[in-house]
Amino acid sequence: MITIANLTAIRGGRRILDDVSFDVRAGEILGVIGPNGAGKTTLFECIAGLQPITSGTIDRGDGLFYMPDGVKPWPDQTVRWTLEIFAKMYGTQTGVSVPHGVVAQTLLSVSFENQRVSSLSKGETKRLDIALALLTPHPVLFLDEPFDGLDLRQMLATMDLLRSVKRTLVLSIHQLRDAARICDRLLLLNHGRVIATGTPAELGDIEEAFLALT
Amino acid sequence: MRSLSVLLRKDLGELFASRAFWLTLLVIGPLVGQSFIQAVSTYAEVSGGALPQGLSPLDGIVVPSLGAYELAMMLLFPFVAIRMISAERTTGALKLILQWPVSRAAHVMSKLTSLLIAWLLSLAAFAIAMLMWRAYGGHLDAAEVTNVLLGYTLRFVMTSAMAMAAAALVPGAANAAVVVLAFTIGTWALDFIAAGRGGLLETLAAYTPAAALRSFERGLLRADVVLVMLIITVVALFITARFLNLGSIVAAVIALLLAAGAISIASHVRASVDLSEDRRNSFAVADENALRSITEPLTITIWLSAEDPRMNDFERNVLVKLRRTMKVEVRHPLEGRTGLFSRYGEIEYRLGGRTAVSKSTTEEIVLETIYGLARVPAPPHSEAAYAGYPLAKRPAGAALVFYALWPMGVLAFWWASRRSRRTG
Repeated sequence: MITIANLTAIRGGRRILDDVSFDVRAGEILGVIGPNGAGKTTLFECIAGLQPITSGTIDRGDGLFYMPDGVKPWPDQTVRWTLEIFAKMYGTQTGVSVPHGVVAQTLLSVSFENQRVSSLSKGETKRLDIALALLTPHPVLFLDEPFDGLDLRQMLATMDLLRSVKRTLVLSIHQLRDAARICDRLLLLNHGRVIATGTPAELGDIEEAFLALT
Repeated sequence: MRSLSVLLRKDLGELFASRAFWLTLLVIGPLVGQSFIQAVSTYAEVSGGALPQGLSPLDGIVVPSLGAYELAMMLLFPFVAIRMISAERTTGALKLILQWPVSRAAHVMSKLTSLLIAWLLSLAAFAIAMLMWRAYGGHLDAAEVTNVLLGYTLRFVMTSAMAMAAAALVPGAANAAVVVLAFTIGTWALDFIAAGRGGLLETLAAYTPAAALRSFERGLLRADVVLVMLIITVVALFITARFLNLGSIVAAVIALLLAAGAISIASHVRASVDLSEDRRNSFAVADENALRSITEPLTITIWLSAEDPRMNDFERNVLVKLRRTMKVEVRHPLEGRTGLFSRYGEIEYRLGGRTAVSKSTTEEIVLETIYGLARVPAPPHSEAAYAGYPLAKRPAGAALVFYALWPMGVLAFWWASRRSRRTG
């Protein structure tokens, strides 16, 4: 579905990504885990075409959408305005009316809709970002730290929602237990290199595997 | 097409959410009002004085009222344009919209269109001033007002494009603002240094934003000025689109080199139209016909420094008209130097191997000298002189409109805009 082959990205003489290769399979939830500075965000931005690559190939299949971490889009606008702009942009492209209300209600309480984005808490902003990603029609979503800032209840609800959307998901997660809980497969990245891939069962105790390999 | 309308809706939404836009709109009314009130009062004094003949509303009312917009284009609007780029970059929204199924060029054009709408809204203050002038019984010439508005709009688009390019090139709105202000101050310095020097420097100085506006303010529509402004705008938009993300410095350098070449070619285009009602940029029709019959090129060597008022007179009253009529080369041997030269004050005319020297800067004497060199008889003149439109009226009601009603109206629209965003 998505194929990354020998991807290398060099910035200021430093190899941020070093010969990274992996596939994303249809319908799976792939977790990219690794310590801070491992190159997870650079990997996602290179795949999304937002950063240049030095060498390698990226086959984006039928398309993907990438939601970066820490985005607080259009802070002077309301949540409803932001959702509508996204829904209309993709609704006009696909010819299908995107049910933004359903997505918004699942992730955000109705009272949020008239709030300005600047007034949202970190967790509320994260849920808005996920709602925006779900409004896009792309079969594959790359989400950077989708559970960062969410409390346990919100995280479990979001996990349920992400499992139910029937999309292929690639998640960058630094909480290893969260990754093992939601992902079908994990890819461990360290110093820009793929150290290991496998199902949570194959990797065994994920924390021990992480400490042993990084 | 519908995607583009969503994009425009997003950018207009961001514009109307921007405090910088509403503050600019708030300030522009009183600034225009102050200029207009002063202009009408001065016009009335001159009209009631000893020499009201030839009084032009273009110089007396239209251009002074637009002066506030020149200030806004230098110190206010660039920040509105910078915000259009830097706010989306700071919040991360840029990373989302660059994945939308629209081109980067569409993103940039949508932002420019939004800014143009902001500009047209701000022109409401000027429109009110002109309606009041007409209500006082004042005269306006449609062609010269349209021409000067075209000049200001072209300058606005060029300034906005350059501000967006600065915001795309450098990180942070504050850095972009410093770049834009440095450019503005640089063009002022160029204006000052290049005056009367001749050569490349003076050619460049003829296209600084301030110099470009001056030709429109004189009622002259010059093809070279319009082309250079459009070339700078297109290059700035190209750089903005390229540097929204993943900018290549090589592409920017190539674009700048191509622009320099295009500007060099455009600067040789001599076509122009005199749209001033008093034909201040043209000789009398009989003189134009006589001068056009002279096929040999005219070379004028001016022994005057740039600061000398006679140089300014000569440029405004003679050279502007001569360049529009015949092939003329102007030389400045002093190159901006001042001091005592034995030939100081002389203007030498060379045509077909013959030379004449004069110290006069008046149109009649210059034409007589050229006709003498070309051995062409001076044509008889039959055109009536421009009578002018004197009007001694007080600017009644203008203070109320611009100092009270305008700010209240802007604040009301601002409040309504914030309210409609909250309630959807």
